[in-house]
Amino acid sequence: MTQTTLPPTEKTQPVSAPRGSISDRSRAERKLGWLLAGPAFVVMLLVTAYPIVQAVYYSLFNYRLTDPDNRSFEGLGNYWVILTDGVWWQAILVTVIITVVTVAVELVLGFALALVMAKALSSIRPVVRAAILIPYAVITVVSAFAWQFAFRIDTGFVNSWFAWLPGVSDTTDWFGGQASSLFVICLAEIWKTTPFISLLLLAGLAQVPDVLQEAAKVDGATWWQRMWRVTIPNMKAAIMVALLFRTLDAFRIFDSIFIMTAGANNTESVSFLAYRQTISRVEIGLGSAVSVLLFLSVVLIAFLFIKGFKVDLAQARGER
Amino acid sequence: MSTKEKTWWWVGGVLIILYCLFPIAWIVSLSFKTTADLANKSFLPSAWTWENYSTILTGTASDLFLPALRNSFGICLIATAISCLLSMFAAYAIARLDFPGKKLILGTALGVAIFPVISIVTPLFNLWRQIGLYDTWPGLIIPYLSLTLPISIWTMSAFFREIPWEMEQAAQVDGATTWQAFRKVIVPLAAPGVFTTAIIAFFIAWNDFAYGISLTSTSAARPVPAALGLFSGASQFQDPTGAIAAAAVIVTIPVVVLVLLFQRRIVAGLTNGAVKG
Amino acid sequence: MLGSAAAAAVVASTLAACGGGEGGSTPTLTWYINPDSGGQATIAERCSEQSNGAYRIEVAQLPRDSPAQREQLIRRLAANDESIDLMSLDVVFPPEFAQAGFLAPVPEDVAQEVSEGVFEGALDSATWNDELVAVPFWSNTQLLWYRKSVADAAGLDMSQPVTWDQLIEAAEGQDKLLSAQGRRSESLMVWFNALLESAGGQYIVESGESPEDIEFGLATPEADRASEVMAAVANSSAVGAGFTTASEDTSASEFESDDAGFMVNWPFVYAQAQSKVEAGTLDASVPEDYGWALYPAVDEGTPSAPPLGGIDIAVSAFSRNVDLAYEAVTCIVQDDNQAEYMVTNGNPASSVAVYDDPEVQEAYPMADTIRESLELAASRPLTAYYSEVLGCFLREFHPPGSVNDQTGERTETLTRAVLSGEQLL
Repeated sequence: MTQTTLPPTEKTQPVSAPRGSISDRSRAERKLGWLLAGPAFVVMLLVTAYPIVQAVYYSLFNYRLTDPDNRSFEGLGNYWVILTDGVWWQAILVTVIITVVTVAVELVLGFALALVMAKALSSIRPVVRAAILIPYAVITVVSAFAWQFAFRIDTGFVNSWFAWLPGVSDTTDWFGGQASSLFVICLAEIWKTTPFISLLLLAGLAQVPDVLQEAAKVDGATWWQRMWRVTIPNMKAAIMVALLFRTLDAFRIFDSIFIMTAGANNTESVSFLAYRQTISRVEIGLGSAVSVLLFLSVVLIAFLFIKGFKVDLAQARGER
Repeated sequence: MSTKEKTWWWVGGVLIILYCLFPIAWIVSLSFKTTADLANKSFLPSAWTWENYSTILTGTASDLFLPALRNSFGICLIATAISCLLSMFAAYAIARLDFPGKKLILGTALGVAIFPVISIVTPLFNLWRQIGLYDTWPGLIIPYLSLTLPISIWTMSAFFREIPWEMEQAAQVDGATTWQAFRKVIVPLAAPGVFTTAIIAFFIAWNDFAYGISLTSTSAARPVPAALGLFSGASQFQDPTGAIAAAAVIVTIPVVVLVLLFQRRIVAGLTNGAVKG
Repeated sequence: MLGSAAAAAVVASTLAACGGGEGGSTPTLTWYINPDSGGQATIAERCSEQSNGAYRIEVAQLPRDSPAQREQLIRRLAANDESIDLMSLDVVFPPEFAQAGFLAPVPEDVAQEVSEGVFEGALDSATWNDELVAVPFWSNTQLLWYRKSVADAAGLDMSQPVTWDQLIEAAEGQDKLLSAQGRRSESLMVWFNALLESAGGQYIVESGESPEDIEFGLATPEADRASEVMAAVANSSAVGAGFTTASEDTSASEFESDDAGFMVNWPFVYAQAQSKVEAGTLDASVPEDYGWALYPAVDEGTPSAPPLGGIDIAVSAFSRNVDLAYEAVTCIVQDDNQAEYMVTNGNPASSVAVYDDPEVQEAYPMADTIRESLELAASRPLTAYYSEVLGCFLREFHPPGSVNDQTGERTETLTRAVLSGEQLL
């Protein structure tokens, strides 16, 4: 849904204030800093903080949009209902499967793409670079429709093209079961977001000092050894940041599922579950509680990454 | 590199191009199929037709599609412009000035970027209908800012760090105030970075779906991705596959044009910072 | 003298122009319509003209599938949105809208006028708590479509009522398709409800004020029989590949193919085949082979209970021009409008008399069958909680091949839990 870019990893050059009255200067700077950054900060805060506070508040009520008179305080009742319901855990499971599968495949595939781009000859490089940006720039909804139409039993060509594969025939109904639906959803996601990962990894590759590569070569290391011992360790920061942002992105998957299956055959993600409670069922209370839980899950993932994998976002943001 | 090795990398490059363009080629091909041809189970149409394009551009679906296209362009361009303006100031402050709260701003940007859109949609819907922003342009522009601002701030502050600041200091020594130095010296230097950021922000706004379907309900503000679900076939039970494909191609054209024109800048914008670690 | 007359004329015409354009003297009514082939927009224009400047109707389009239409409308109405005057509501939604107080009461005289000569099922669907809350505009029903050649070869006498079991047997015997809608959507409820009603059951036996009072008819032998038939069809070799995602459109395409045998579907399939013949993409012999009959029964001797669909027109309680809106509704649902809409847009009228219209008779050789079907048609469960009821149904009854004699009871339990807020949906 949201695309993320890699935050800058550069370090801020210390600002050397010109000589003069330091305290005046720094006070003016302080004021100017907030004056300049303030509007952006306020807008971001308003658009997200207000809604989440309201969501937390509503999540404590039994509140149906069509029946506002019977709104009643439930305390944490909605959360209890959700957490004891198999539907929620099913949605979590589906979301985790999609996240793990797509991020893992994207990482490997993206790495391969990055290697090819790094090595691709200059004659073809601009074309490759333009091509790789296209999936990134295409609207998710469009990509979802394209993949859905390709796999659908009536409009698709996939069945007739791949009929030679075991398990695929003219009559394979990809959207008729959970596993095959998820397969197509993951394919679409992978196609759309691998280029982004590969660009980040390409940038990471460029960071690996040539000297180290050369030294390893002299020592007689094979290509694989150099890859595992030199290239990848030196790209760790780039890989981890790419992983974090893609994971958070994948966990919030909504558009593709909405278009391709609309949640049929147990393909509902957590975002979709939240959408259905609030928008379709107009159960504002229950839906808000799902939204809050979704938000907490995302925060938890970010926390685990930052603490567990020691992804240094401060460094990534250039804040150290 | 040996010739053999060269060939392999070349083949790899061609494979990547195929991988990237294949689904696009498919939806283009689909958009040229006649209604009867849609289920022909082959990649290419057996007879090419403009029928689907005329449906959405001049035919029955044009009342839906054309206003949606106008809304999408208008809303995304305004959101991009506002977001660039705000983040330009913010990024300058972050890259250049020393003030408390810098961490708070960056942390907020990060938090907003990972925020699940679905969590915002419902409360925003409730608020918008109370204050009359539901189904209006500002009603979408404001949430789009939450999508575009964090990325704009990051990308732009990365660009701003590469600007030769000595020139600003030189200007200040010459008697210019911080503000004048910013306006006269830094803005021209920063323009390329701002431009790149604008393209990326535009992509993100253009890609939105969840806000589009939840916060609009008429052609007054409904963007294209949300309008795709409204097309209908000759009867309510017929799938409008052809019309959807044609509309999908049309909304893809602007981003493809941007990519072709500015690919080098976009790559720099997306990876900035990582390269210069 | 002449000069001042001319000046007066100019002033008058300017005023008239202003009146038309500004909407100051001509109130504008906004009609939220479901997507169609432009028929409702035409009717809106015609009624605006006929009103002689009393009102002007503008149309605004809703999404394609009915749950999404409901979502949009309900959210706007919950916000007391004054910009909605008229809305085209799918027949399953008036109870929910009425219960929530979103619909302006139908004036006595209007109710009388629009109820006359309307199919009973259509009126039922627009009635809540014994009061008419919306006005039937058009009524859809499914017929049993068959290929005459296949029915002949199978030795099935289609002039007599047929059962689902006979259809399965005939289709399997001839190695042809039996097309129905197994997709996880409204259409699955359409099918199941028709089976249940034919078996003599009812999805909702008693609809109460609050969700706890609703009495379901799902843990009954009738529901078990309906489930049995559904599973038998879904698991037979006569259904097409991808049955669990088959929509009305899928069925229509299947029925145009060489494998076509039997199909339950709305009448649009006939118009669709005709237009394909005109476009040269379908052989003329195909629709000539189309036969139609009343919807199949579950057992020999049980009645046919065809599905009822269609659109009711409702007036928003928050409209600033309720009286004018009802004036507009009476214009919209006039017989000639319904007849023309049926001929041009393929949506059958809800007024019985329209079926005698020569143009309708000409466009629809099966007009009499449609009328008969509409007379027998049974509404889907009427409840203010339809979307929950549907959601629970789909969770348990999809895929249709997995349905058994436990499914009904499980659905009932689930629906109760969801309605009392104890479970998610």
